[in-house]
This record gives sequence, C-alpha cells and structure tokens, in this order.
Amino acid sequence: MSTAQFLPLRFNWKTGLLAPGLLLVASTAVFAHNIEKHFKVEPRSVVTIHNPSGKVVVKAWTKSEVMVIATHTSDKVEVDAEQTGNRVDVMTHQISNSISPEDLRADYQINVPEDAELQIHDDSGEVSVANVLGDMNVETVGAGVDLEDAAGYLTVRTVGGSFQCIRCAGRLEVSSISGSFKLLSLRSYHVHAQTSKGNILLDGEFLPNGIYRLKNYSGVIEVHFSPGDSFDLSATSLKGKVNSQASLIPPAHAHPVSKFGNAILGTFNAGHAKVELSSFDGTINILKRE
Amino acid sequence: MTTVACRDFLDRFDSSDSPRNGSPADLSVQAHLRHCPSCRSFVEDLGKIRAAGAQLAASDPEPPARIWFALRAELEKEGLISDTPSEVPSKSWLAELFSGKFSVLPRPVLAGGYLAALLAIAFGLSGPINSRINRQRWLDGTQSSTEPLSAQLMSAEKASFSSWPASETPVTASLHQNLEIVDNYISLCENSVREDPENELAREYLYEAYQQKADLLAQLNDR
Repeated sequence: MSTAQFLPLRFNWKTGLLAPGLLLVASTAVFAHNIEKHFKVEPRSVVTIHNPSGKVVVKAWTKSEVMVIATHTSDKVEVDAEQTGNRVDVMTHQISNSISPEDLRADYQINVPEDAELQIHDDSGEVSVANVLGDMNVETVGAGVDLEDAAGYLTVRTVGGSFQCIRCAGRLEVSSISGSFKLLSLRSYHVHAQTSKGNILLDGEFLPNGIYRLKNYSGVIEVHFSPGDSFDLSATSLKGKVNSQASLIPPAHAHPVSKFGNAILGTFNAGHAKVELSSFDGTINILKRE
Repeated sequence: MTTVACRDFLDRFDSSDSPRNGSPADLSVQAHLRHCPSCRSFVEDLGKIRAAGAQLAASDPEPPARIWFALRAELEKEGLISDTPSEVPSKSWLAELFSGKFSVLPRPVLAGGYLAALLAIAFGLSGPINSRINRQRWLDGTQSSTEPLSAQLMSAEKASFSSWPASETPVTASLHQNLEIVDNYISLCENSVREDPENELAREYLYEAYQQKADLLAQLNDR
C-alpha cells in the first residue's frame, strides 16, 4: 500500500525579479520534482535502490513503514518506487536517449524499519546509511559510502569511492580499487577489507574468534590496538615496510609468508582474534591506541 | 633355467650389466622380469637414473674455483701438501696435483681425497641447479595459468574500447582511470613473479589484479 504526494517547490519571485543572474537557477528549480511515497511493510522487509547518480540517505526509524522522498531536476529521468510483497524497489529511470550526467541526478531520503535489508546501487554521488541493522549490499563506482551503527552482513563494493564505517557490527566485506577505508569504533567479528590503491584504517575491538583481514597493493594500512586486546598477528608487505608497536610472542613454527617480503608475526596476549594484514608495496603500521 | 623369486632378484641382478647378455643367471633374471611388474619397474627406474647420471656427466660442469681452494686448504691443513698454486685452478692442475705430488701418498688416502672432492662438487652444484629448475617450473606454471587469462582480458579490453562512445561520462572516466591503476599493478606483479617465481604472495596479488581487471571490464561493458 502506498501514498504518493507531489510537493510543489517554493519559489521566491522577489529574488528572481531583483537578481536576473539568479533567475536561471530559480527557473531550473521550478522544474524540480519532489516525490514522497510511503509503504507499509512487515518485519525484515527488503528495500532496493538503484540510482545512477546522486545522494542516497537511508535512516532507520521505529515505524513499520518505508518512506521514500526523491528529488530530481531533469525531465529526462523519472523516479519509481513500488512495493511487491515485503519488498520496496526504488529506481531512477532514464526516459530520454540523449541525457547528460547532470540530468541523471536524483537524490533520495529514505526511512526504513531497523531490521530492513538494503540493496543499494549508486554509481556516483554519495551513500549514507544510519542505524539499519539488517543485511546490506552497497555497490558504487565513484560514490563514497558512509555507514553508521550498522549491523548484519555488510558487503560494500566501490571502484573509486571511499568507505567509512562507524560503530559497525556483524560481518563486513568491503572492496575497492582506489577507495580508502576507515573502520572506526568497529565491533565486527569478521572484517575483510581490500583495496588496491587506497589506505585502510581500522580502529576498533578485536572480538574473540574474530577474523580481521586487511589488504592493499599500495597505500597505508593502519591498525590501532589497546593493551587489553588479544590477537594473533600476521603483517606482511612484499616490498614495503611493516612497523609494529605491539610486543608479540613469536610463533612456534615458521610461517610460510615470513620468507616473502617484510613480515611481523606473533601473538599479542592470548591471541583470541586473528589479524591478517597484507600489502604489496604499501606500509603497514600497528599502533598503540592513544 | 632356474626361476628367481623377488627376494632373490636383487642378489642376482647385476645393475652394472644389462640383463640381456645371455648368461644363465641373466636369463633367469630376464624371465622373472617378464612376469614381475614390480621388479620390472625397479629395473626401469634404475635405467632412468643411470641415463640421467650419464647426461649429467656429459654436461661436465666446471666446479667453482672455491671448491678447489677449499680442498687444497684442507689438504694443506692436514699436512698432506705444502705448495700453493700460483695460477687459477683448473682441471689440468687437478690432474697434476693427483698424479704428481700425491703419487707418494698411499692409494686409499688419494681415493678418499678424490671422493671428498667429488662429494663437495656434487653438493656445491646440486643446490643452485635444483633452485634453477624449481624457479623455471614455478615460472612455467604461472605463465601457463596466466597467459590465456591475460590474452582473454586483452581482447575483452580491445572489444570494450572499440565499442565505446567518444564522449565519456564521469562514471566511465572513473572506470577507465581505475583500469589503468589495475593495469599498472598487473605489470608490477608480473615483474615480481618473474623475479621470484616461487613467491606465492606475488602470485596471489597478480591473480587478484586480473580478477579486478575482469570485474572492471564487465562493469564497462554493462554501460
């Protein structure tokens, strides 16, 4: 079930008349399309968003409802938001063969129940998700991805977009070619982060039995630890440097990676978590948390 | 002609001769070989080892000079010789050494010294040779697995570029830019694998770079 409202944009005629330079901007805005739709959903609903260009902001709320607010300025695209069972599909459609990248742009603000599952595709622009605890799959080309207080099985793939995750829990798999990653106040038990050219910063808890794999070709991998943490460390840079401030107990047996490149291996405290850091020619820093 | 059991076979089989010289013992050995696949396999293996040994001897590798210096130093230390050679050691020098000044030594001592020299040469040469063979095997293995992949990716890339419109969007520009980054890493990894073919980390990075390139090309083709 859905309700749609088409909201007219406010236009200040005085500004338009007094400043002809602004008229162009204002007249463009006259053609802006705002769409708001509401969908009642059951627990564990699925929301898919496909947007070639623009900003996608998703926030969790306490209602059993999905609310979609979309804005686009061009007549060459249209926005669809439809419900099929417990799934809501949101999509930006190109309705003209000749279209500029600017025309493609549509911005979304979407509210979903906390346990919703998200599938987001946004080539360029920005993706921001907060407080959603369901599984999530985000794919972008150039768009950066920001997650906050997310949980579940999180998979993020970008080509050049950066990724930041604050207080993320659950299982996280993130990959990119040239995007950098920041994983802050992390509470995940499984992290697999791989980028080619970007930097990776991990600052969070190493949960018992957790596995943390960070890998890049170049750039800096930085991991922060506290004196109370417990992990087995394997840090190898084939052609770069590895620096560690952790006092490690050396492994009992020679590790196969230790014969290639520069490697630091060992156990910190009881070694409850597994931390594997690997770089081709980048630098790896394992630093004590300030 | 008497028959031979497997347990007697080794005693009666003379590895220095071919079991085809017609003597009664050899005939019984031959008869046994015809019916016993296990002993036949043993004899075949022995033949291969002999052939490999002959091949190695035929190549006549020149041992490094350090072997001769080390040997001479050891002999001098034990007081068996006192002169120091004035020229770079060579095989003729060795022959002279054993036939001339050492002729006064008892034969068992000479034989022991000769054996020690041979062992030193064998150990000195086997390391580098095995290492070279291993390197080549790794290199061949990596090349055979990556060459078809590389060729496929190259043709996919050509096809992708030929069908591409002249004007690029920011998204496709970003994809191309990242494709260049991945190509650069592929080149770096290929160099690393060539330098150190046994390095499994370098190979892993190379394979992953190919995977990334394939993903990027697929994304480009989707547009």
